[in-house]
Amino acid sequence: MTAALLTLADSRLPAGGHTHSGGVEQAIAAGVLADPGSLAVFLRRRLATSGAVAAGLAAAACRAVDDADPVAALGALDAEADARTPSPALRAASRQQGRGLVRVGSRAWPHPAWAALPAQPHHPLALGVAAATGGLTPRDAAHAAAYLSISGPATAAQRLLAMDPITVAAVTARLAPEVDEVADASAEDLPAATDPLLDLLAELHAARNDRFFAS
Amino acid sequence: MEVVARCDARGRTTLPIVRASGQLAVRRTGAASVHLVATAFGPLGGDDVEIRLVVEAGARLSVHSVAAAVVLPARGESPPSWQLVRAEVAGVLQLAPEPTVVTARADHRAELHAQLADGGELTATEQVLLGRVGEEPGRWTGTTRVERDGRPLVHTTVGLGPGAPAWLPPVAPRAYVSTVSTGGGQREVATGVDAVRLPLPGGWVGTAWGDELHDAVTRLASVSPRPVDELAEVTR
Repeated sequence: MTAALLTLADSRLPAGGHTHSGGVEQAIAAGVLADPGSLAVFLRRRLATSGAVAAGLAAAACRAVDDADPVAALGALDAEADARTPSPALRAASRQQGRGLVRVGSRAWPHPAWAALPAQPHHPLALGVAAATGGLTPRDAAHAAAYLSISGPATAAQRLLAMDPITVAAVTARLAPEVDEVADASAEDLPAATDPLLDLLAELHAARNDRFFAS
Repeated sequence: MEVVARCDARGRTTLPIVRASGQLAVRRTGAASVHLVATAFGPLGGDDVEIRLVVEAGARLSVHSVAAAVVLPARGESPPSWQLVRAEVAGVLQLAPEPTVVTARADHRAELHAQLADGGELTATEQVLLGRVGEEPGRWTGTTRVERDGRPLVHTTVGLGPGAPAWLPPVAPRAYVSTVSTGGGQREVATGVDAVRLPLPGGWVGTAWGDELHDAVTRLASVSPRPVDELAEVTR
């Protein structure tokens, strides 16, 4: 554990994550998220699917920095990320956040590996490179990705539903063992777990013109 | 189990290899179509089936089954049952088996790994029902990976049933259907009630769910670009 990992997982890192709700805004509109209990269910669902996928990709991207050909290795991972994210809305959200993280990460931890990323990389790839350039391990990258898959959406739910911040913090903190479990299970693998409900919510959300969040 | 479809000198499909052993038999039911027939009750927990399908350039193959597959648990602590379909497609492949019914305590894993050559077309439909009437749902995990020229087009794993992490109330459907179609032209996003269609390079993937299989099938049709009958026509 180093301060670099805390920096990466800190919601105050200006990488643009605060403009994304990770499906929470549409889940509220669809009536599947309304209170702390249903928030916990939604976060667990997200963690086990897009969180696991992000953790696997982030760990692999962290490893790819040391590859003989990091451009090819990261390009192949970007294709794997696309294959696991057929939803155009979710792809756009991931690439927007990836670009935001490249902007801050490349200034914070200057390194040639940033130039090996594709333009507008998927967020987990940028996260993996940030971890590597910050001196962290692939496992650290997986933990940051798994944690970020629920921390941003939890904050979005708090804001949209005017929920008690202490309750939301408790819901998130109680998921910590599951976050660790998902990160550890995904760090050596490239999971492909998907939730068709999240795909549907993301596409319904993208078609709205009265939304507060970008995704 | 293995089926090879080849295009002869006159441009017609022949099936030089059609063979199976174990729990599955395979019958030729047309010039370019086969039906899978279960030779025993099941699949049972612990069963492991591999199906290899090769569709060479210019050939067509349509794979069906004669009846729903009813997945049953083995006695005691039942291990999962596995079905792996490996497809190499340079021609046109349609995979349209009857539904898979996963009974209480059963845990079924279905994988489709398809490698498409340039010009290869694949349409694969999957229908899953968790539990028979009045019965607790079983577990089903389906993985689909399609590559074209070694590049992944889609790779997703869907887990359904009690204990599956993304199968949680209020959205924990008993019925799930999905179609992946590539090579027939890219289709943009479409959404419906408990149904969504997403674009793939040169194709689309549609998914729908509900409490009953017929509801899910109707919902998938509502976001599918062509009626299923027309798809059958293509491979005839």
